[in-house]
Amino acid sequence: MSAGWQRRARPLLGTLVEVGVAAPGGGDAIASGLCAAFGAAFAAVAEVQACMSRFDPASDVGRFHALPAGQGCSVRPATASVLRAAAALQRESGGLFDITQGSAPAGWRIEGRTWWRLDAAARVDLGGIAKGYAVDRAVIALRRHGCAGGWVNAGGDLRAFGSAELPLQLRDEVHGGVRRFGRLADGAFATSRLPGGGHVSVAAPRALWADALTKVLAFSGDPGHPLLARHGAQGFLH
Amino acid sequence: MRLVLAVATLAPATAFAVDYLSAEQAAKLMFPDAERFEARQIELDAATLQKLDAQGVKARSARWPVLLAKAGNATLGFVVTDEVIGKYELISYAVGIGGDGVVKSVEVLSYRESHGHEIRLPAWRRQFAGKTAASPLRLGDDIANISGATLSCRHVTDGVRRIVAVVDMARRGGLL
Repeated sequence: MSAGWQRRARPLLGTLVEVGVAAPGGGDAIASGLCAAFGAAFAAVAEVQACMSRFDPASDVGRFHALPAGQGCSVRPATASVLRAAAALQRESGGLFDITQGSAPAGWRIEGRTWWRLDAAARVDLGGIAKGYAVDRAVIALRRHGCAGGWVNAGGDLRAFGSAELPLQLRDEVHGGVRRFGRLADGAFATSRLPGGGHVSVAAPRALWADALTKVLAFSGDPGHPLLARHGAQGFLH
Repeated sequence: MRLVLAVATLAPATAFAVDYLSAEQAAKLMFPDAERFEARQIELDAATLQKLDAQGVKARSARWPVLLAKAGNATLGFVVTDEVIGKYELISYAVGIGGDGVVKSVEVLSYRESHGHEIRLPAWRRQFAGKTAASPLRLGDDIANISGATLSCRHVTDGVRRIVAVVDMARRGGLL
């Protein structure tokens, strides 16, 4: 699969986001007519960042944090989707997955597109799920532009689709360099580092679930956790 | 979903690299309406460097090569390329700044990753000199799809901020 792939990268989501697509004729990155597809993929990621960055007071997360307890704000559809997935995961995992990271697990609720802040102590970080969601949105954008195959990699939250089969490499944070892990096609893969050393990885059909389920695996320590199978995922401790 | 695991864990690769775009390609992407690009060099004097420093911007260098995107006599904007070093990585990137001084886009030109110590050695960095997108390193040959603790792009973000400040200062000072 070495020839005929065009790749671009931009700094987004606080990391390097790489997009690769099949370029049937090979050739120049600009002349190949893929600019619109690349542009749409990066725009999809940038939109997720604009909605869900906790560093941006104008994002939905920033606006949520400005709310007093008991009030709600209207959020964009992308944020509502991620919050619904986060709520389902929190429920299904018995609280292992928690976007408030312990600050107030019951301190928020999503109803339609209204995000309620139930507890002023609730501090939300969607970093454990939004990156995967952004990758999924970028893949949808590429497919809409007629890309037959490719991948999106947001700093290790990775998804391949169509004709792309990717080598998976794990970064060695102690010594540098990377280790070969396997190959992935038509699916997503994400890795998280454990605070005490070691890593967890999850392969899943979609990047949102791969990203979020690494947290469930990290906190449960159980690659056989039933939530993984429910979402068609496989987990690895290494 | 198809996942095939590697048979054995191999020793870490020593280094890998990806070339995305040349500076010229990035400039054309950022300013598709430009008829030509003029190379200039910003030379910041001591007073300007001090002003930048007062803004909390370390200019790092007094000399900054800039490409001016031109259409007729009009300047559509500026393209500045730079590189930053992280813990394991060397990233070169281009920043496109519109005529209004606002960042249009940031494109990564190339990415190099290594063992932590090698990246600080000039010899390791030199081996990549002159690489362009015309001689791309290929997926499968040179790796791309790293999964690991998230790589921080803080150095790039800081670099973009520095370039915006330098270009802004140069325009105010009539250097561009």
